Amino acid sequence: MSYAYLFKYIIIGDTGVGKSCLLLQFTDKRFQPVHDLTIGVEFGARMITIDGKQIKLQIWDTAGQESFRSITRSYYRGAAGALLVYDITRRDTFNHLTTWLEDARQHSNSNMVIMLIGNKSDLEARREVKKEEGEAFAREHGLIFMETSAKTAANVEEAFINTAKEIYQKIQDGVFDINNEANGIKIGPQHSPANQNMPSGGGGGNQGGNCC
Amino acid sequence: MFSKQRSWLSGALWKPKNPHSLEHLKYLHNLLAKNQTVTEQNRSQLVETLRSISEILIWGDQNDSSVFDFFLEKNMLSHFLRYLQQRCGRYICVQLLQTLNILFENIRNETSLYYLLSNNHINSIIVHKFDFSDEEVMAYYISFLKTLSLKLNRHTIHFFYNEKQPRKDGLGALKTLSEPSREPEKHTNDFALYTEAIKFFNHSEAMVRIAVRTITLNVFRVDDKAMLRYIRDRTAAPYFSNLVWFIGNHILDLELCVRHDMDHRSRDRLSDLVAEHLDHLYYLNDILTIGLDTLNLVLINHLLNNLFIPLYVYSLTKRKKVADAQDDRKHVSSVVSLFLLSQVFLIMHHTQLVHQLAEVIFHGDITLTQTEGLQNSPKAGIREFRAPAEPLEKTLENNRPKRRYGQTTVGQDEGAVGGAEEGAAYDPGEGVSSPSTEGALSPSSEVCSGDTELSSPTQNSTDEEKLIGMSHRMAIPSGMPDRLQPFTLENRPYLETLFTALECTENDYSALFALCLLYAMGQNEGISQNLMDGVLMPTERSRNKENYNILLVERLIRIIEQACQSGSKVRLATLELSIKLLKQLVNKDDRSYLQDRHLACIENGRECSTQRLRNFYKSEEIFLDMFEDEHREMKNRPLNVEYLMQDASILLPPTGTPLTGIDFIKRLPCGEVERARKAIRVFFLVRELSISLLHETETQLPLTKEENCIKVNDVLDLNNSDLIACTVVTRESRRQERRFLVIDPVQLILVEPDAKRLGWGVVRFVGFLQDVEVSGDKDDSRLLHVVVHKPSSTMHARSMPILSARFVFDDHIRCMAAKQRLIKGRHRARQQKMQTIERLLDITQVEGAHPRGSIPGRSHPVHPASSASTSASSSVTSSPGTTAQPQGQGQGRGARRVTAEQKRHLQAKAAQRSKTRQGMVARSSPSPARDGVEIGEEATSAMAVQSLSQNANGSNSSSGCRPGGAVRAQKGGPAGIRGVQSAEGRLEIPLEDLSTRGKQLRSLSFERARLSRLAREVGSLGNQGHQQASQHGLVARSHSLSPRRTSQETSTLMSRKDPRRQSAPISIPSSSSPSAHRPHHTSKYALTPGGLPQEGRRPHSRSNPVPPPGSSSDDSPEGGRTRSWSGPTPKSLQPAATPPASLLDGTVSTPPVLVAAMLVPPERTTIVRRTSQEEEEEDEEEDETEEESSRSTMRGQADDKSTDSALSSDEAGPCSSSDVTPSSETSLSDMSPAPEPRAPPVSATKESRSASKQLTALAQLVQEHYPYDAAEEAAHADANH
Repeated sequence: MSYAYLFKYIIIGDTGVGKSCLLLQFTDKRFQPVHDLTIGVEFGARMITIDGKQIKLQIWDTAGQESFRSITRSYYRGAAGALLVYDITRRDTFNHLTTWLEDARQHSNSNMVIMLIGNKSDLEARREVKKEEGEAFAREHGLIFMETSAKTAANVEEAFINTAKEIYQKIQDGVFDINNEANGIKIGPQHSPANQNMPSGGGGGNQGGNCC
Repeated sequence: MFSKQRSWLSGALWKPKNPHSLEHLKYLHNLLAKNQTVTEQNRSQLVETLRSISEILIWGDQNDSSVFDFFLEKNMLSHFLRYLQQRCGRYICVQLLQTLNILFENIRNETSLYYLLSNNHINSIIVHKFDFSDEEVMAYYISFLKTLSLKLNRHTIHFFYNEKQPRKDGLGALKTLSEPSREPEKHTNDFALYTEAIKFFNHSEAMVRIAVRTITLNVFRVDDKAMLRYIRDRTAAPYFSNLVWFIGNHILDLELCVRHDMDHRSRDRLSDLVAEHLDHLYYLNDILTIGLDTLNLVLINHLLNNLFIPLYVYSLTKRKKVADAQDDRKHVSSVVSLFLLSQVFLIMHHTQLVHQLAEVIFHGDITLTQTEGLQNSPKAGIREFRAPAEPLEKTLENNRPKRRYGQTTVGQDEGAVGGAEEGAAYDPGEGVSSPSTEGALSPSSEVCSGDTELSSPTQNSTDEEKLIGMSHRMAIPSGMPDRLQPFTLENRPYLETLFTALECTENDYSALFALCLLYAMGQNEGISQNLMDGVLMPTERSRNKENYNILLVERLIRIIEQACQSGSKVRLATLELSIKLLKQLVNKDDRSYLQDRHLACIENGRECSTQRLRNFYKSEEIFLDMFEDEHREMKNRPLNVEYLMQDASILLPPTGTPLTGIDFIKRLPCGEVERARKAIRVFFLVRELSISLLHETETQLPLTKEENCIKVNDVLDLNNSDLIACTVVTRESRRQERRFLVIDPVQLILVEPDAKRLGWGVVRFVGFLQDVEVSGDKDDSRLLHVVVHKPSSTMHARSMPILSARFVFDDHIRCMAAKQRLIKGRHRARQQKMQTIERLLDITQVEGAHPRGSIPGRSHPVHPASSASTSASSSVTSSPGTTAQPQGQGQGRGARRVTAEQKRHLQAKAAQRSKTRQGMVARSSPSPARDGVEIGEEATSAMAVQSLSQNANGSNSSSGCRPGGAVRAQKGGPAGIRGVQSAEGRLEIPLEDLSTRGKQLRSLSFERARLSRLAREVGSLGNQGHQQASQHGLVARSHSLSPRRTSQETSTLMSRKDPRRQSAPISIPSSSSPSAHRPHHTSKYALTPGGLPQEGRRPHSRSNPVPPPGSSSDDSPEGGRTRSWSGPTPKSLQPAATPPASLLDGTVSTPPVLVAAMLVPPERTTIVRRTSQEEEEEDEEEDETEEESSRSTMRGQADDKSTDSALSSDEAGPCSSSDVTPSSETSLSDMSPAPEPRAPPVSATKESRSASKQLTALAQLVQEHYPYDAAEEAAHADANH
């Protein structure tokens, strides 16, 4: 329960690129990826450890709110990290990245860490966007890049944690003003972790069958 | 992961191997049935069970429908509910919410969804009181609601809205009365999804607030009547009033932040608050654009009466100092309110809202604010920013029982709405007895509808009728009468504040916001043109823009003029916005409606900016790069007002330091380079404005014309061209290509032979020579390293060279040749551009000695335009140049000038007059105290400078402010002090005068203009008087710029060493009688061909053109100096042999043009012609003898005096020009209602002819007596008044 920092993430990208599946895959390992089942979720939270510190990640999917300008704007601003997702089997989702990125840069605070994710790397046969292209795009725009698969869970963990590490580093460097919650970073409650070993609800990956 | 589970299960039931199957669900159901109560022991098992259920259900939805059937058949949701009600702690809760989330998010089957929603369990879960203090529960809960809201449509919404209520009613009412709060689970006739969500509208967690907004918007978007009625009747008023209160409190925080942060320390916090406010506005705008009229009415009513008007608009009149004391009503400082209102008008476009708000700003009168103070006035209750009587949650709770009881008919509903709008209507104890509440509410709603046009819907009229009524009420009082009577700021306290804010003598802090607000209002489509016409603000929608607000335009012009001066406090953003607004006001399609006198001011500003930039001009390479870069920047990134107003940094007082990270255009320049950049940008902006007002096309900028450049794949005829064969090896790819190098005047071109035509080549690469960097190779003499840089390098992106390669030539001779030509080509290309810049800036060429001939060492002749345009533009500022001016126009900028002829003349006259006056002062002051009183001169010159650049003040100082000033000026010492005073005094020009003057001026302008023209002609008729005089003044002025000058030797030395003190040598032989000598200097000065050309170049080669010890005091003399140069330059710079010819050209060719364009009265044409001829002769004379010229100078002075005094006698009228915007002065002052008998404002036309006769006579008279002492002259002049 208790954490040193809470980072708020948002996931952005075209519909159907697997954002909510990535989110569920990361926040709740109990949902095993199965070939005939696609499950996603709009919100998830999970505790990770960086540098010996407990850090809680809260991830908000922004899907379905595109029609309201006020909402898109606000979401960007309230996040410390953003996962910009495209589908490697659909070229158009890659082509739209620029628009997404512009939006993000326009509305977010300048320190927001953005990670570029090419999802569905399991579907190598149907690949339309080369890994190099993703890398080049990321390099050009100063993003972290990774190809993931929500299906096989490949790199999913890394994607979220690397982003968190980057944010954490920025905090250490004093770039983020951690006292300002509008940045999407929150300092954890200072009280002692009395119920630390308790499962943290649906969010905890360790939830499975903790105590019986 | 199931291992533990299995061990636990081993004794219970057989668990199917396949987790995704109906069997597994059955097994899980069994588990749930067995564990109906949550205990410590089974908790984890239950959590996992619930999780698995979601997984199976989704699998079933996608693969096997029998799974879902089973789920519904067993009514498994009731288990969920049962667990919740056991208050079993967060683990179960969170898991349940996650399961539900997943269910609703992933279900694709529409019928499955209906089943899930059908039995009201979901509503029960929604209203369940979770432990919202737990942030994870809160997050999951709100996500759950959001997921549900995304599933809303016309069909599903009925599942969320309980319609069984009427049947239950009688029974329910009794129950409610006795125990209203006991049955939250019975929420009948409730739209729980919505009401539960909005309770968190002000949650501390931003993500929760965002989710709430999303939910409400998703709900509003569903077009369902029942939902709408419910929301409007039951929740709209409380929700919106609370929302408004919440927003308002944010604003107060913001205000605090601004007020206590002068040092830019908490920028982060401030920008958050600003962003939050923007979020709110966007949210409100999103609601309004959904277009639910009834809902919008309520919202608008709350916004206007409880927030925008009482907190934003009323605060406009609050000054910072007053703000802290006295008033206990909530308010913000006027800067903040300007900023906020700008945002409102930039973001919100809903007609009713913005229209009403604009009306209050335009026509609102102060009594509104005052009556506000009286609590008993009915209005007081309406327009006030104050807290809702109770928190939203409480209201909603109280609403619930009342709802059951109320048996609401439509009429009563509306009464409730009206009452709720009143905000205070809900008294805390009201919840129980709803009938009394409604009774109490209805009348009050009537009160407010009767009292103010901003009322809520009344019962008897439809919304549309109301709308019409409203616009009628507005249009009639505002639009109609105002068109008939002139515009004043009387009784418009808010508009007045806006206009006052436009003043930026101290800084442009509030001016920027005021500009933005006015601009946003002009751009806002919600405000009808009718209303805008009420304050004479034409917009894009106006048919024509003849009736623009003079007052406003003059303030804008003033800002532009201020920006053109050195040391100005006007930021680039402010300037750009003023220009935008000005264009919005007067430009329409292909036409500018700007009046001539205003145009003259702009033109003057343009000259000022040109002159200022001239100070920074250097022949260094970096200047060219900066120049081009600024132009690109301006073109590529025009000011986006919306983005500008999203930047919190401008809310803090303007600062200069780049360490704040504030954009260059949003702060003042820091250091010499930035000052130069700013000067460049100002030059571009004002030039662009002037060009667009004159409806010309820019022909000189950008320096590189893309369309004239050779492009890749062009095919060129290269017969007879110099071609050098080489092999190009690019650095990165190491690719080798055989190419021919062609060096065009501006471009480096690599061609490949064209296969089709002999001697032709296909272009494979082009780069600008100016960006070429070439170096030899130490080891290989046939090899060159060539780098072509990218021209459009922005500050943000790294500039990659467009070519980086080795050129390998056949032998070292070809290599050398290529190298030489590249280097020379680069140099020449740059020089050519520098020349273009020089032409743009009217800088005299180094080769000024032969201004018209071709320049030795240059590959092509210098454009004659350069000298001609110099004379043209400078003649605008220098008085006597009027005759020479058309010449310049004809040749140099012909196209432009001809159209602008008329305006130019106005301006020229203006400048002439002020100069003349300065000439007098400047000359007279140093004369007596010549040796000792350096200060006097300095000060006078400073004043002269001020007056030149802001001629209003100049003339004031010498005339208006102090009657008889000219006499005193002659006393030397005092004159200096006076000069200083007046220079300072200029800052305090009361702006209020402007309005009255503006009006008067408008009517008089034409007659006055004519009159002044006559006067000028008379003056020039007599002799070259003006010119001489002004030169004279200029000499005196520039003179004073070298305070260290004490003797001839020093000054000569200095003039060699330091061309910036150019003027010094002129005043050298000063030992004898000053009055006799000064003209003498002038002529000598005019005759010095060697000295002056230096001026063109050398000063700029100094690294630091404007030594700035103290910003304005130093800067302004600087400006003055250049100004002074521009005047005499064209003539005086001519070497002895040339000027007659050049002048002759002009005189011969131009007067007809002048006549035609100027609308000079026919009988005057001849005079003009004669004048110019005479002037020409004078010029020759001048060249011949110094005495002659000195004499003519004296005559000129005499003429000036007489002209001045005879004409409109600015000197006489103390108030005559005290208030006019600086450069508009001259043109304006011509027409100013001076209390001078000979030129009374009204009868000006009639008298013009007789006046002109008188003037002629007077001029002759004075001419005869030219050796008058200056003092006598002035006295004489004064006596004339």
